[in-house]
Amino acid sequence: MAISGETAIQPGVDSDVALAARGDASAFERLYRTHVTRIHNLTRRMLGSHDADEVTQDIFVRTWQKLGQFRGESAFSTWLHRLAVNVVIEKRRSFAIHRERMSDDPTALDAVTVAPARADLRVDFEAAIEQLPAGAREIFVMHDVEGYKHREIAAMLEITSGTSKRQLHRARMLMRKHLGGGQAEPPVAGD
Amino acid sequence: MHPTITDQLSDYLDGELTADEAAALEAHLRECTACNAVLNDLKRIVAQAQHLEPRPPQADLWAGIERRIERVTPPRRVSFTLPQLAAAAALLIAVSAGTAIKFAAPAVPASAPVEQTANDEPAQAEAADSIATIAVNPVGFSDAQYDAAVADLEKALKAGRGRLDKSTIEIVAHNLEIIDQAIAQAREALAGDPANSYLSGHLVEARRRKLDLLRRAAALAETD
Repeated sequence: MAISGETAIQPGVDSDVALAARGDASAFERLYRTHVTRIHNLTRRMLGSHDADEVTQDIFVRTWQKLGQFRGESAFSTWLHRLAVNVVIEKRRSFAIHRERMSDDPTALDAVTVAPARADLRVDFEAAIEQLPAGAREIFVMHDVEGYKHREIAAMLEITSGTSKRQLHRARMLMRKHLGGGQAEPPVAGD
Repeated sequence: MHPTITDQLSDYLDGELTADEAAALEAHLRECTACNAVLNDLKRIVAQAQHLEPRPPQADLWAGIERRIERVTPPRRVSFTLPQLAAAAALLIAVSAGTAIKFAAPAVPASAPVEQTANDEPAQAEAADSIATIAVNPVGFSDAQYDAAVADLEKALKAGRGRLDKSTIEIVAHNLEIIDQAIAQAREALAGDPANSYLSGHLVEARRRKLDLLRRAAALAETD
């Protein structure tokens, strides 16, 4: 309980978080190095390679500004990830993509270049994600890669769960088409 | 391939179909190799998405971040020690009890309306749930209104100060000092970055918290 609403970091939370929250830039750099890969992967997959570096930097600057609000009620990585998703969503809105990306365009399947190159399937899978239409890509990454539920996605994107489900199915079907339309079986990671 | 069936395959895969829908789909899948093939492809895509290998950025982005955070206000944490938190909790409990007793009576001067919002911090919301909320009127946060509300509450608190014990007075004073520091820091930061919506929100929230604390303390002083 806190009268001011801002509580001390609870015991057990990473000391670098505590130090960074008090303005220690070196501790914050360590946090950056620990988490940058995951955050960059998120931004790259959701926004594309072109914007990933800049938005990743924006996310860490925002994190620095908001660290004082971190209460230690969840893992820092969880808190950071949610903050990152919110920043990415803001960026997408600022790019004025939000409205058109949610249209259920029946021609979207045709808009994706079919490039069933299978020499490097892991890279190809990432490339296929990047070629998805913006709305479908966003939901595919949030649901299938990051593990968010439809109701969580719906709340964050201010859409209905039904729209989230439709976009997810559209994304998966586009991925299937891009990866070769079931002519050959892409290996599951770890194969 | 049957489009009406394939349209359901993702929902089926994610367990989003009803039992009846799933049973009907499974009956179709037993007969249709084409739809089965699509389902298997989707399963592999989902599995692969869940096991993507992490790829670090090609460039080190820290230098750019470091330059930028040097120009923005560093994080400020208002921290309480455990004894302080315990004392604050005791204060709120006392407020709850006192306010409950005097629920029907006006606990705040009419000239000091205080906003009671639905989007307060969870801890405050929890406290509010347990408190028989005193009658309040909304207040804007233009400086004149805010300053008047604060002045009225401070006056009410001063008048009832004799009814509060020393430790409560110290806790209230200490927490007001902390909140005032937060307000001053937010104002200072906003002076350098007036368009920063986060800082604006932070300032509004800090000022709201000051009002909330004053309101609680004034109510406590009145009911003691």
